[in-house]
Amino acid sequence: MIKRLLLLVVVLAMVATACGGDGAEEESTTTTAADGGSQVAAEGILKTVQDRGVLNCGVNQEVFGFGFVDADGNFVGFDIDYCKAVAAAVLGDADAVEYKALTAQQRFTALQSGEIDVLIRNTTWTATRDGGEGATFLTTTFYDGQGMMVNSDSGYTTLEDMANTTVCVQSGTTTELNLAARFESGGIPFTALTFDSNDELRPAFVAGQCDGWTSDKSQLAAFRSQNPPADGGPEAWTILDETFSKEPLGPLVRDGDSQWAQVVDWVVYATIQAEEFGLDSGNINSYSGDNAEIKRFLGQPNEEGTIFDPGLGLPTDFAVMVIDAVGNYEEIYNRNVGPDTALGLARGVNDLWTRGGLLYAPPYR
Amino acid sequence: MAVRTETASLRRPSPALRWVRENLFNNWYNSVLTVIFGALFIWVGFSLLRWVFFRAEWEIVRVNLTLFMVGRFPRDELARIWVSNYMIVGAIGLMAGAATASAAAAAKEAGLPFVQSKLQDLIQRFWPVLLLVAALLQFSRTWTPTIMTVGMVVIGVAARFAGLHLPRVIRRYAWVLVALLLIGAYGALVWFGGFGWDDWGGLHLTLFVTVAGIILAFPLGLLFALGRRSTLPLVRLLSVTYIEFIRGVPLITLLLMGAFALKFLLPPGMDLSLVSRLVVAIMLFTAAYVAENVRGGLQAVPKGQTEAGQALGLPAWKVMRLIVLPQALRAVIPAMVGQFISLFKDTSLLVVVGVFELLAVSSIANNQPEFLGKGLAEVTLPFVAVIYWVGAYTMSRESRRLEKKLGVGER
Repeated sequence: MIKRLLLLVVVLAMVATACGGDGAEEESTTTTAADGGSQVAAEGILKTVQDRGVLNCGVNQEVFGFGFVDADGNFVGFDIDYCKAVAAAVLGDADAVEYKALTAQQRFTALQSGEIDVLIRNTTWTATRDGGEGATFLTTTFYDGQGMMVNSDSGYTTLEDMANTTVCVQSGTTTELNLAARFESGGIPFTALTFDSNDELRPAFVAGQCDGWTSDKSQLAAFRSQNPPADGGPEAWTILDETFSKEPLGPLVRDGDSQWAQVVDWVVYATIQAEEFGLDSGNINSYSGDNAEIKRFLGQPNEEGTIFDPGLGLPTDFAVMVIDAVGNYEEIYNRNVGPDTALGLARGVNDLWTRGGLLYAPPYR
Repeated sequence: MAVRTETASLRRPSPALRWVRENLFNNWYNSVLTVIFGALFIWVGFSLLRWVFFRAEWEIVRVNLTLFMVGRFPRDELARIWVSNYMIVGAIGLMAGAATASAAAAAKEAGLPFVQSKLQDLIQRFWPVLLLVAALLQFSRTWTPTIMTVGMVVIGVAARFAGLHLPRVIRRYAWVLVALLLIGAYGALVWFGGFGWDDWGGLHLTLFVTVAGIILAFPLGLLFALGRRSTLPLVRLLSVTYIEFIRGVPLITLLLMGAFALKFLLPPGMDLSLVSRLVVAIMLFTAAYVAENVRGGLQAVPKGQTEAGQALGLPAWKVMRLIVLPQALRAVIPAMVGQFISLFKDTSLLVVVGVFELLAVSSIANNQPEFLGKGLAEVTLPFVAVIYWVGAYTMSRESRRLEKKLGVGER
């Protein structure tokens, strides 16, 4: 009996020391991790990426137009093009990108742990995410907003017409919250029918289980334009004019490295500025005019023979490399989501400020 | 002449017809049920066949076949996958040949008759796999996969022949050759500027995770099973804690931990890829279940066996290795294979953490411009399901064959 008790004590002591040892080890790992983190911060992500020779870009693989995978296994889309643009500016090679497909839950962890250098994955900029996720949101590349799609023959033209209807919506998204907020503030009684994804939602809408389908307008446009003739084709469905949420989508980087944030920001600005200057992938390499602003933008020497370097840490001709690789904003837009694509989106607010849109690049000087 | 045979057949109905009359139409309600269920059966079968051959739009599978098979593996490097497959087939062929030769030699020595398995046995054993391969090749848009598959069969047959006719001295070391070939198969993908696990995808990745999970989980589970029966309290305590902790946690939480949390616990220099972190999670999970299965087997072995071994003066580990374990493992084959089948199907959970495995390709394909919003998940999901079914069913049948061979449930 005493022997047994003794044994028990020994075992307990061993377990305790084992646990203690584990704890100490864990602590030391966390400190080294923190050390590593601060080291990276001191050295800068820009330097890390250049040394590595590859940009790790966090993307989506399941949203048509923004980030998806074609049959040959290539990533394609609006967000993907911005990954390429950053790689072209920083590494001089638009193909030097390692794409990391992330789920919505994974994306911020991947950014914090340093698994990716930049996150371009149709992520809406909100205060909570900016404040709480250790991420810095950069220039918005696409202004999306929530809309409502109805059957064309239903006669609904505004949300107010939709009293006592059933609305299909994706569960657990801001979309669901926006829907409730908008209908409640308008005093419109409704029933929400929730689904896991738009793919699952679609058959319910086709079958008439709900009167309206709410999602980001870009997604609604995609599903509308792809509606097969058997279900009435695109004309059978109408997207109401009202946009009842703001969904600014753009790149994100980790908090605490302002140089890297500037780099990614100015890559986005370069695509916008190029469109404003009328430069595109076709003519940017052959520009021989004498507009001083454009020459500065392209990294060409001015009359005194000096080349403008704003000190962003980028090559002076980064804009040329970016536009040469992916084109200006208009080209990126039209290639992935524009009127000639399956999404068929008009520019709308995603137009230059000179044409009444929201795209505005700070002066490059 | 003709009239006579007709009357003869009228008088004496064929055995099949008689069976039908005696079992399906022996009274009025059985006749009614037979007609109703027969009609239902025919209608379901007809609808299914009509859907498969005429209604379903297989274009999405045809276009994305490579994506389903290997995911994002670079298309100009696909030769690596074929080389790797050739090595695996060669290894399997060699192993089968050598095993047959050894069995034949053993039978001859014991003076027992030895029946070599025939081609038709193989077809009977693997018809679902053969059908699946035929279907996949039919979806392919070029001849390359067909030619390569024929090449694979040729290599497999040649390797089996070689294994069968190896000199006895070399045959004993055939497993070295097999191991080298398997390592080479892995190296063909990874060495010489090859690709990490995160670049693989589709069925290829699903199979790899399954095989890696089984190979890693089995020895670990065995250790924990022995640990749980150990006489050392500390070892027993640790084993029990591990097994009960892992069995009390859903696999999905372990996968999420592997995907998100493990990264923060690793030292900064150690950079495990996502897939390898997930393989570790799957291994830890399966090992706990394997341990419990093995423990069941250990407990089923009568104590007299151990005592007999001890009476012979064998050391404890030899008693375990030579007497107890062989009997214990043989007894738990069905449970173990069941565990591995569920591991195979559980790899589809990797879709939750964004891994490009077989099931993920289904939704990825449905988000391509030419297939978006057409509701084609009704085509891709059954396609993926059939692939899983073929794998699981083949594993189950092979385990039943193994049981019969080892005489489980007979002795």
